Amino acid sequence: MLSLSPSRLIAVLAAGSVTFLSAQGAAQNPSKPFTTARGEWPSYTGDTRGSRYSPLDQISAANFSTLEVAWRFKTDSLGPRPEFKLESTPLMVGGTLYTTAGTGRAVVALDAATGALKWTHKEEEGPRGAAAPRQLSGRGLAYWTDGRDERILYVTPGYRLLALDAKTGNPVSSFGTNGAVDLKADIDQEILPDITTGEIGFQGAPVVGRDVVVIGAAFREGTAPKSKTNNKGYIRGFDVRTGKRLWTFHTIPRKGEPGYDTWQNGSAEYTGNTGVWSQVTIDEELGLVYLPVESPTGDYYGGHRPGNDLYGESLVCLDLKTGAKKWHYQLVHHPIWDFDIPAAPILADITVDGRAIKAVAQPTKQGLLYVFDRVTGKPVWPIEEKPVEKGEVPGEWYSPTQPMPTKPAAYAKNGTSLDDLIDFTPDLHAQAVQVASRYKLGPIFTPPVVSKAEGPLGTLARGPTNGGSNWPGGAFDPETHTFYVASSNAAPVVLGLVQPSKERSDMDWIAGSAAPAGRGGGLGGGGLSVQGLSIFKPPYGTITAINLDKGDITWQVPHGETPDAVRNNEALKGLSIPRTGQAGFTVGTLVTKTLVIAGDPQVTTLTTRPRGAMLRAYDKKTGSEVGSVLLPAPISASPLTYSVGGKQYVVVAVSGGPYSGEFIALRLPTAGPQ
Amino acid sequence: MLAAVLAVSVGASRAHERPATRTVWDSVFSIAQAARGESAYAKGCARCHGAALTGGDQSPPLAGSAFLGNWNGQSLIDLHQRIKTTMPSDSIGIYDAKFVTDVIAFMLKANGFPAGDADLPSDDATLKDIAIRTSRPTPPQ
Repeated sequence: MLSLSPSRLIAVLAAGSVTFLSAQGAAQNPSKPFTTARGEWPSYTGDTRGSRYSPLDQISAANFSTLEVAWRFKTDSLGPRPEFKLESTPLMVGGTLYTTAGTGRAVVALDAATGALKWTHKEEEGPRGAAAPRQLSGRGLAYWTDGRDERILYVTPGYRLLALDAKTGNPVSSFGTNGAVDLKADIDQEILPDITTGEIGFQGAPVVGRDVVVIGAAFREGTAPKSKTNNKGYIRGFDVRTGKRLWTFHTIPRKGEPGYDTWQNGSAEYTGNTGVWSQVTIDEELGLVYLPVESPTGDYYGGHRPGNDLYGESLVCLDLKTGAKKWHYQLVHHPIWDFDIPAAPILADITVDGRAIKAVAQPTKQGLLYVFDRVTGKPVWPIEEKPVEKGEVPGEWYSPTQPMPTKPAAYAKNGTSLDDLIDFTPDLHAQAVQVASRYKLGPIFTPPVVSKAEGPLGTLARGPTNGGSNWPGGAFDPETHTFYVASSNAAPVVLGLVQPSKERSDMDWIAGSAAPAGRGGGLGGGGLSVQGLSIFKPPYGTITAINLDKGDITWQVPHGETPDAVRNNEALKGLSIPRTGQAGFTVGTLVTKTLVIAGDPQVTTLTTRPRGAMLRAYDKKTGSEVGSVLLPAPISASPLTYSVGGKQYVVVAVSGGPYSGEFIALRLPTAGPQ
Repeated sequence: MLAAVLAVSVGASRAHERPATRTVWDSVFSIAQAARGESAYAKGCARCHGAALTGGDQSPPLAGSAFLGNWNGQSLIDLHQRIKTTMPSDSIGIYDAKFVTDVIAFMLKANGFPAGDADLPSDDATLKDIAIRTSRPTPPQ
């Protein structure tokens, strides 16, 4: 562990903006001085409710396209090499912007008006950091104050929780041991094989409410695990003042706890994962915490864990102070599709048929929005157990039914059929049918299959792993009770299983392809595309607005410029193709007084403008695009907005392809010299 | 405070560099190399990016328009360096240049680009001279 020496802490206090708001805010409400209503962005999603909503209105439909760069902050030097996957949404409190950044996951504080660096803090974790399952800069931080102390909560790649003094970046010595809590310890299990290399980490943002900081748990990609045995992703709450562990929730129940019997043959003993790699949500008013739980070990094969496997792929509500379970709802029984619940649950106070409901809405990879009364856990609209196909993978256990919401309607495509294949021309359709013929098609919950060289190579699925909506999640407008979400329709995955060698894995089946290398294998000549086109019809990506009082989709628009591979495609010459939108799982929505703002996840090259990706604004009532600005690289995280010195800013992270991570702050043009 | 407010514009300027003279449509890898690359990919890359290059929870797809769009107009040296210096993310630097080149040959094949008779070499000058293009360039009239 090494903090940068004071001489290397870069303090730029030119704008002198860091302290005045905290004093002012503390006088008004010591426990809650900073809110989006005051133009701040004090939590990863703006608030702890998953909202991504700000009432700011200076940036509007009339002026969005005139936005200019206020400042840029390149993250290359914050680690041993540049990073190409910058996913953080910074915080903005009291004129200072806080974020994780760089391949070493440094924490930086910037002047929110100028981008000038105030301080940086970096932990050197040696082999422990190098072995981390979730590398790179992570998604962000949490901020806490009691009106006097101000702290930044930060999880390192090596899975340690630090409390930093928000003014200086120095660890708060009274927190944990010298400012840090070892998250691999005191976790109701021994992390195997050892504390240095043991697989568990977290790259999401911590969340803090009522002086409790809640930390998730994450692992390596899980489609082809080395073993059916892994560490368990228990979730913990810590005292934000001392770092003391307050509670641990066993996402895989221990013997004697409710739910243990949903893991047949004692499989709860060795099965791992089942953490929360996305964002936890807190209802500070009710004192409740909402956990979106991921898949158990083996994303596509569950034969080593027969049964429903609670709390895998369940939404779990806990008491914030004690960690006691209030309710849970399993969205997918016996998970074998990698339908991890991927995003922050969203708290929504709505009125349904004249009845006020404190609801929680959960966006998912499967493109279904599950809406519950967040106090009782009862579905707001009925969720029906529907019979699903039983598969034939030897050793697998199948749930005969799966829960399906009756409302709202699916906002993303979540199955595959011949009708979904492109039909721009009869020839392209025939080629798409030819590609698809090597796979098993079917609706949502069509199970994985054993991969066979002669076919099927696997189940061709949309939704699993990286479809629908993913970690950027949705947004909620408390004024209109409207939920907004970006999603992908053209992110297919192949659910094919192969038997691994004993050296590779002790699982009976892991993800893989039986196609012999070099013989085409369904991949030669374009993979899951034909002539550079997705085999699936557009729109490839959309933004959807859903009125949560009614459960109805109010608008849905393609989001993202039509990709180069479509616009310049010889096979489409002479055809007029409406905007297709783009597939991509980095699109997050921000909702303001009048706008929904989201960036393109892909770069495009048009003759009318330089190569780049657009940040777009939509009229939040109608979905009409009302403005856009060009950025140099894919927008790779959810934007935030705040106000400093009377000016509204929108900040986005861009990265991807050959472009390394950068934060870009936009604001309206200034009048004359400053 | 701000000396000049910059218009939002593209970043890295490559104006000083000589444009690539070939593209990925010019049969720049061999079938045998792509097969080697497929084996290498299965061992080193598929656990995160998927056997069918469709990507994972945390890992972008390596085939299709999402991949090609972000690399359109860049050269193979950019892609090579990106892989070589950032992958695999939990033990960076274990893949040598030839391993990466073979994987690129497989990725090119999987993205529908034509194979030729000769392997794609790993030297910087050659890789720099080959541009990634989503669409086949129109031959000069």
